[in-house]
Amino acid sequence: MRKLVQAFVTVFVISFLLIFIVNRLNAAEGYAGNNTITVYNWGEYIDPDLIDQFEEETGIKVIYETFDSNEAMMVKIDQGGTAYDIAVPSEYAIERMKENDALIPLDHSKLPNLKNIDERFLDLAFDPGNEYSVPYFWGTVGIVYNPTMLEEGRTFTSWDDLWAPDLKNQILLVDGAREVIGFGLNSLHYSLNDTNKDHLQEAKDKLVKLQPNIKAIVGDEIKMLMVNEDAPIGVVWSGDAADMMWENENLDYAVPEEGSNLWFDNMVIPKTAKNVDGAHKFINFMLDAEVAAQNADYVGYSTPNKAAMELLPEETVTDERFYPSPELTDKLEVYENLGPDMLNYYNELYLEFKMHAK
Amino acid sequence: MKRKFKPSTIYLAIVFVILYAPIFYLMYYSFNSGGKMYAFESFTWEWYGELLSDTRLLIIVLNTIIIALLSAAISTIIGTLGAIAVWYIRKNKMKNLLLSLNNILIVSPDVVIGASFLILFTFIGIQLGFFSVLLAHIAFSVPIVVIMVLPKLQEMSPSLIAAAKDLGANRYHVLTKVILPYITPGIFAGFFMALTYSLDDFAVTFFVTGNGFTTLSVEIYSMARQGVSLTINALSTILFLFTILLVIGYYFISKRTNANGRMFGLGARK
Repeated sequence: MRKLVQAFVTVFVISFLLIFIVNRLNAAEGYAGNNTITVYNWGEYIDPDLIDQFEEETGIKVIYETFDSNEAMMVKIDQGGTAYDIAVPSEYAIERMKENDALIPLDHSKLPNLKNIDERFLDLAFDPGNEYSVPYFWGTVGIVYNPTMLEEGRTFTSWDDLWAPDLKNQILLVDGAREVIGFGLNSLHYSLNDTNKDHLQEAKDKLVKLQPNIKAIVGDEIKMLMVNEDAPIGVVWSGDAADMMWENENLDYAVPEEGSNLWFDNMVIPKTAKNVDGAHKFINFMLDAEVAAQNADYVGYSTPNKAAMELLPEETVTDERFYPSPELTDKLEVYENLGPDMLNYYNELYLEFKMHAK
Repeated sequence: MKRKFKPSTIYLAIVFVILYAPIFYLMYYSFNSGGKMYAFESFTWEWYGELLSDTRLLIIVLNTIIIALLSAAISTIIGTLGAIAVWYIRKNKMKNLLLSLNNILIVSPDVVIGASFLILFTFIGIQLGFFSVLLAHIAFSVPIVVIMVLPKLQEMSPSLIAAAKDLGANRYHVLTKVILPYITPGIFAGFFMALTYSLDDFAVTFFVTGNGFTTLSVEIYSMARQGVSLTINALSTILFLFTILLVIGYYFISKRTNANGRMFGLGARK
């Protein structure tokens, strides 16, 4: 009995000692107290130095947490019980969060730096008047390829180039219904938000003909597979492409001329926010020209911040792969919320397409 | 000299190699200066250094240990009392019913338990964080402790208690001087089981963490999603060594008990 009591007392003493240490560590890091904001962002999606800079400038401590999909993020926020002050969802997630009343409207008077954002990226269909969101990064869907593994001189200026008969078993696709059906539609010069079922059927039939060229339809692993040169061609988001090109210098990226998807990740204040004022300060800070430039330089995605683009190196902003020319930009489309029925139809077609795999 | 390589030994060796190879592969590359899980370049402590200089990670490690220790200790107390209560029930039907209910909790999928805790906590308004994780860990550890302690109780001869009562022990004395000392090995076994369950639990914890509080397994998961960095290997290596230390600790405790003329528990050594 004494042995038991001793053992348990020891365990409790050690635990409380550790709790004390953790509290001291937290205090030393500045996480204690009310003057904090919790930022919920994608992994590797901010320059950590900027967080330090924000903390120094405002005295607000940042607790940084990461998520890996819009869905996971929305579940955590919808469930409550969390206190995220900033989240960075993609545009379609914002529409859903708006429907669920999960967002707090932004106070534009506290965001003077909003003027830095290119007008092209303001007041878009998913959030008219930027009532709830401010664009953080944007990008396209395109083709990443490895010239060293392909015959010399091959380029991908058109989606139709994917259908070349000599590319048997060479293409990786990212596993997304709208992305895949989308480039099918694009290759036929239809809109990405097409709701004409004949057009969609036509796109699917065309995609089925692509099947012999497809090596696999994969998720996040596509990055690793391309970097490790397991396949020469992939259809991916430009952000992923930038990551891959960073890891493997052989890779190149192209947005086909027929057009493509234009996606956004946006800063929002979820209804769980405890420090709405601090959240506004953070958003405004991230919109600052210098900060946004430094962040874009670190993350490697395309910034919607016009003032920041002027500060970025010339070769970055003139890189048409990531900052497409105005002619091409006109052809880029943002996904619209097509409603559940149409989305189901997209998913069904996508499933049919997948079932044609060898 | 006896022939060493019997087919059964070889078979055993192969099985163990297959089981341990991935872990050692991972540990090996935690020392790779190349930063990749292939093409070993040269030996480096770089990833361990990076790991140790990361205060956030250190806090997470400490949090994980705190949760493990506290949840194991509290669930051991609850579970031991529970086991004694089950043991005291005379009606066999009732006893079996309770035991089955207990076992269902052990075999039911972690995901289900985690999701139901998430719903419960948000329903009654407990903030996700330290306490939600602690409560969840205590809850899934209690049945394990019951299972570990109960065999010791059943092994105990009822005449021991009768003898104690004859000698004038009251109920409190019977509990503290007879029952508890007898089942002490079972209690420790339960404690260590609960400790390891809590340390490596991912599914349940994943649902109930939030507000900046995470444990190691959840953190490793989200680190891995962002691409394989060798700091994960370094962290896993340390975690693996820590688990080995626990097993060794467990071994010595059970060995000591064996020396006292008793054997118990998972080791199944004679």
